[in-house]
Amino acid sequence: MAAIAVENVSKRYDTLTALDRVDLVVEDGEIFGFLGPNGAGKSTMINIFLDFVRPDDGRVEIFGHDCQTEGKLARERTGVLPEGYDVYDRLTGRQHVEFAIDSKDAHEEPMALLERVGIRDAADRRAGGYSKGMAQRLILAMALAGDPDLLVLDEPTTGLDPNGAREIRNIIRRENERGATVFFSSHILEQVEAVCDRVGILNEGELVAIDTIEGLRQSVGGGTKLLITVDAVPDQGETIRDIEAIDGVETAWLGEDGDRIEVTCSNEAKIDVLVALQEGGIDVENFRTEEASLEDMFAEYTGGRA
Amino acid sequence: MSWRAIAGKDYYETRDSRLIRWLVYLVALVGIVGGYVFPAIEGRDVTASGFAEFMTDPMGLLLPLVGLLLGYNAIVGERESGQLAILLGLPHDRRDVVVGKLVGRGAHLVFAVLAGLVGAGLLVWYPFGTVDLLLYTAYLLLTLSFGVIFFGIGVALSTLTTSKQRATVGAFGVFFLFVVVWDLVAELLRFVFEQLGLTAGTLPDWVLFVHGLEPGTLYDRIVAAFYQNSTAGPYLGPDAPWYLGKWVALGVFMLWVVLPILAGYRRFERTDL
Repeated sequence: MAAIAVENVSKRYDTLTALDRVDLVVEDGEIFGFLGPNGAGKSTMINIFLDFVRPDDGRVEIFGHDCQTEGKLARERTGVLPEGYDVYDRLTGRQHVEFAIDSKDAHEEPMALLERVGIRDAADRRAGGYSKGMAQRLILAMALAGDPDLLVLDEPTTGLDPNGAREIRNIIRRENERGATVFFSSHILEQVEAVCDRVGILNEGELVAIDTIEGLRQSVGGGTKLLITVDAVPDQGETIRDIEAIDGVETAWLGEDGDRIEVTCSNEAKIDVLVALQEGGIDVENFRTEEASLEDMFAEYTGGRA
Repeated sequence: MSWRAIAGKDYYETRDSRLIRWLVYLVALVGIVGGYVFPAIEGRDVTASGFAEFMTDPMGLLLPLVGLLLGYNAIVGERESGQLAILLGLPHDRRDVVVGKLVGRGAHLVFAVLAGLVGAGLLVWYPFGTVDLLLYTAYLLLTLSFGVIFFGIGVALSTLTTSKQRATVGAFGVFFLFVVVWDLVAELLRFVFEQLGLTAGTLPDWVLFVHGLEPGTLYDRIVAAFYQNSTAGPYLGPDAPWYLGKWVALGVFMLWVVLPILAGYRRFERTDL
């Protein structure tokens, strides 16, 4: 059974379309990255998972339970780190975690949970005095209570220093190894790239891409960019046409100085390109390859707003 | 039963609020002081029924205040600052939230009224008074319900709005209208009707009915009817129509206990947060 199944979900706010017919399946056991610039609709989607918001159209199921009609069942096996939360200033860290454990009918040691997120020392201090990073860990500890089968984390690394973000990623990996599915939203590509099996990219309410990181790389110009420095190109138009005729080559063009040819192609076609150039009487002086940057791809999908 | 976790959390959290603690002490104190002072003032005929009538004014002022203050922030506070996201991220539905909040916060109201009135009952009974246990228990429940009405109005306000500020204004508005100026409104209307030559110093029955729907007025009417066995005045006099009678008053009073809470819950259940 899919951990999360989103079917044709739309949500409008007056004139703004927050989500536009989104379909999405998150498989059991994977780490899914939900990418998109701020305001793309990520939080609206997560709010529908949690039944803070009801969709105008379509439905969402978590482990087969409809998030709107059976929200409580859907959230029973889910741990949530919501966006825009605030801790209870008057309660201690330990009381927070105890509350989560009670709410989930779990039987865990609160201190063990606090230990897992690294704030054991602050357990008996009031959460009102916690730093942003500590509060984030505290809420994560609450999400981890009861060993949930699904973790929904809305921008879990936002506002953390690089160390903190790395620790969160480590926790995500550990939970995944334990068997939990992780749904992780972010507007920062590299946060997601480092841990996710698959990513979906949301832009202006539409899911514009959904694939593995590798698959997304492939989809950007065949995966590899070949930069070839040559002595001279006698017939530019014909050379470019010849290269583009090779199997596996997507596009080829001349560099700015006229002594460089740039080609986007599959990995296997690289040698063919070089051989064809030699056969055409063009001396290859040097060449190098560049991986297509996911940043470029992300910017392309989201209109450079990332 | 997941409301229990919310109720427990909320109870501990509100107990930590100094304002709420002092209000609870104040209600208990006023009840006990009332129980101490009443026999001294009353002299001969020290009964629980007399005490109930004696306490209507202080309770009529204090319980609306405490009820509204306990209620108005119950949900909107968490909603505005984002704690509701944590609450509903856990396996609770919105009914659990409303029920948990009602129980967790309402517990303070129950303790306050119980402490005040049980203490007062003992002081009235000892050494010279008489307390009809059944009647006094009914009075205790009635007074508690009166507090719950305003608590319920507060919680309802708390579900109706997304801003704490608006809930605060609403709570003060209710207090001001129902507790501070309500009787003045009756006086004003009486004056107007007299000037217009419509009545001679009294109010038409339908105006009395509408004016009498306010919870504090109902509480007074019920105490007067059931504890003083009063058969005089515009509501209880021999000429008063049936709809101004004590049973109608009691029925409307009961509606006040449940309707605001139900309305607030329905509204909260249906909105996007």
